Amino acid sequence: MSLLYPLVVAALLFAIGVYGVLARRNAVLVLMGVELMLNAVNLNLVAFDAYLRDVVHSGQVLTLFVIAIAAAEIGLGLAIVLMVFRSHRHIDVDRMRELSDTDAADAAMARDARVGAAPGGGER
Amino acid sequence: MSPAWVVALPALGAVVVLAMGSRATVGWVGAGFGLLAWLSGLVVAVPALGDTGSQRYLLGSFPTGAMSIEVALAVDGLAAVMVLLATTVALLVLLYSVGYLSGERRRASYTALVLVFTSAMSLVVLADDFFVLLVGWEVMGACSYFLIGHYWERVEARAGAVKAFLLTRLGDIGLLFGIFVLGAAVGSFSISGANEAAAAGQLSTSQATAAMLLVLCGVVGKSAQFPLHTWLPDAMPGPTPISALIHAATMVAAGVYLVARLDDVMAASPAARTVLAVIAAVTMLLAALFAVAQDDLKRVLAWSTVSQLAYMFAALAVGAYAAGVFHLLSHGAFKALLFLGAGAIVHAVGGTSMGPMGGLRRRLPLTFVTMTIGFAALVGLVPAVGFFSKDAVLGGVMDAALHDGSWQAWMLLTSGLLTVVVTAAYSTRAWLLVFFGRSRGAEVLETEPWTMRAPVVVLAGLSLVGGALVLTPEVVDPLGRSEGSLVHPTLAAASTLLVLLTVLVTYSEWWRVEGVDPAARFGPVRRRLFAELGVDRLYQITVTGPTWSLAHLVVATDRDIVEPYVRGASASAQGLGLALRQLQRGNVQVYVTAVVVGALALGLTAGWLS
Repeated sequence: MSLLYPLVVAALLFAIGVYGVLARRNAVLVLMGVELMLNAVNLNLVAFDAYLRDVVHSGQVLTLFVIAIAAAEIGLGLAIVLMVFRSHRHIDVDRMRELSDTDAADAAMARDARVGAAPGGGER
Repeated sequence: MSPAWVVALPALGAVVVLAMGSRATVGWVGAGFGLLAWLSGLVVAVPALGDTGSQRYLLGSFPTGAMSIEVALAVDGLAAVMVLLATTVALLVLLYSVGYLSGERRRASYTALVLVFTSAMSLVVLADDFFVLLVGWEVMGACSYFLIGHYWERVEARAGAVKAFLLTRLGDIGLLFGIFVLGAAVGSFSISGANEAAAAGQLSTSQATAAMLLVLCGVVGKSAQFPLHTWLPDAMPGPTPISALIHAATMVAAGVYLVARLDDVMAASPAARTVLAVIAAVTMLLAALFAVAQDDLKRVLAWSTVSQLAYMFAALAVGAYAAGVFHLLSHGAFKALLFLGAGAIVHAVGGTSMGPMGGLRRRLPLTFVTMTIGFAALVGLVPAVGFFSKDAVLGGVMDAALHDGSWQAWMLLTSGLLTVVVTAAYSTRAWLLVFFGRSRGAEVLETEPWTMRAPVVVLAGLSLVGGALVLTPEVVDPLGRSEGSLVHPTLAAASTLLVLLTVLVTYSEWWRVEGVDPAARFGPVRRRLFAELGVDRLYQITVTGPTWSLAHLVVATDRDIVEPYVRGASASAQGLGLALRQLQRGNVQVYVTAVVVGALALGLTAGWLS
């Protein structure tokens, strides 16, 4: 079989994944985009392993590693999404901007520092 | 006994006194240490009186490259009489201060500073290394600064303290460089070494002239001679015992002491002697004239101190070494007496202005008698010590004038005799205004305690019998530096006649319209003299004003030229930060887009390049 087919499929998968990560608002769908990108890479690894007839099959071994890591990553990611949902009541990536560098954020940080420094500032 | 004790004991006393804080007995402890210093001074100085040799004590040595600085003390005849003068007056002033400052705050710091001053003065007169001398010299200046500013709540005390400090420091720069020149010329910083080198002719005239002119800067500053004379009268807001100790008897005389100490170097430089003679001639007459017009008793005495110090310089400028040292001792005694008497008057009436005084003869009989002795010594009436010492000075100057007929000596003689007249005039005026006539408002609030009486009586006794020193000239001049006798009968008779005439004229002027200040006769001239010929104003215009302008210029440069750059740097950083902040708006997907686009761009560029 030609190497071209799996490579084209992998490139398409990766592009779909990138689109998902960049364009979707739902955090779960963003995570799915990440998964698509990982699996595109996996497909590449397996394809090259077969094409190069690697004796120790390092491509396939690496693929197994990636699958394991992807499972761990998606577990962690979904846990974070769950926590975000609990605190924000939404999982919209666009609306999560607490870490932006704005004057409001500066003021909030300064206020926190002041309260923390003041005696008895623990009770907030 | 090592002379170091004379220096160490009062310094130790200062530490003890400071540790005691403001307890009531602090003055007595200070006086006790003054007594210890006096006793150690006696033990050190009395065997050395009239001694032709010099005993040197080396306490330590600091190698500093080519020349080492030696902590060396030396006791010779000159140091001995100076130690006696300094410790005696210091003891009397410490005793006097017990009464004078009773019930005042800040007694501890006052007493400690007087003790530190005594220590520093002893160090100056005993030092045999220029840097040791300089240490004592500067410590004295610092003590003077602090003690003038003792009543720092008063603005004129603060101003006077700063003025005294700045003007004396100005001179001290010259002294420091004079020391460098002498050290480089002689090869060591030893004072006796410099004198020996000069006496052996190892110093060229130009070296000696350069060194002595620089040293004279420091001397003129410390002894308040023209043109740095304006600080001494402004130092008078300090406590009166301080004026007696520092600003009459000892510290201002340290300049005279230094010139006497470097007599051999001085003799090697006719130019320096000429400069000293001119300074002395100008200062003695000018200061005496200023004293005529003053309204403040302590200011009169301050100007008279300046004038009398100029007498000593006059003697040293013509080589009448014995007369100069003699007048230094005599002036130390009678001017301390006059200031302590003035202190008793201040204590009694609460002010120094002679305007409201008058008729104090009956209310303060002891002060009247003692101050009369002091004034008699000041104008030079027999048998007070001032008669003999002033006669010795004028006689020395006259001998020089007749002997080699130099114009400097003639100038000094003219100025000296004129000053005798003016001195008699201002002394009589002050004496009459304070003690005679009717009281013009000043009430005697309290009489002085015995602690204030005893020192005045002792000093009055010394001023009366001190003239006996003419019988033993070897005490003031053990090496026989100056030829000629200390006694000049013709001149003494002439100057006594001058003094008596002046006293008579002043008295008749005062008596003609009773209660009117005799100086009022001078009319507009008096106003000029009262303003001290505007020398202060001249300095204000030529030095202080430009300094202020320069300071303003520096401030303006900093504010308008340097600061915009600093502010510009901060503003541009802030602007850049604002621009960069736009990139970080919190949308994670924008960041990821940037990463992807960047990675793509990198990849494409890499592909295109290969």
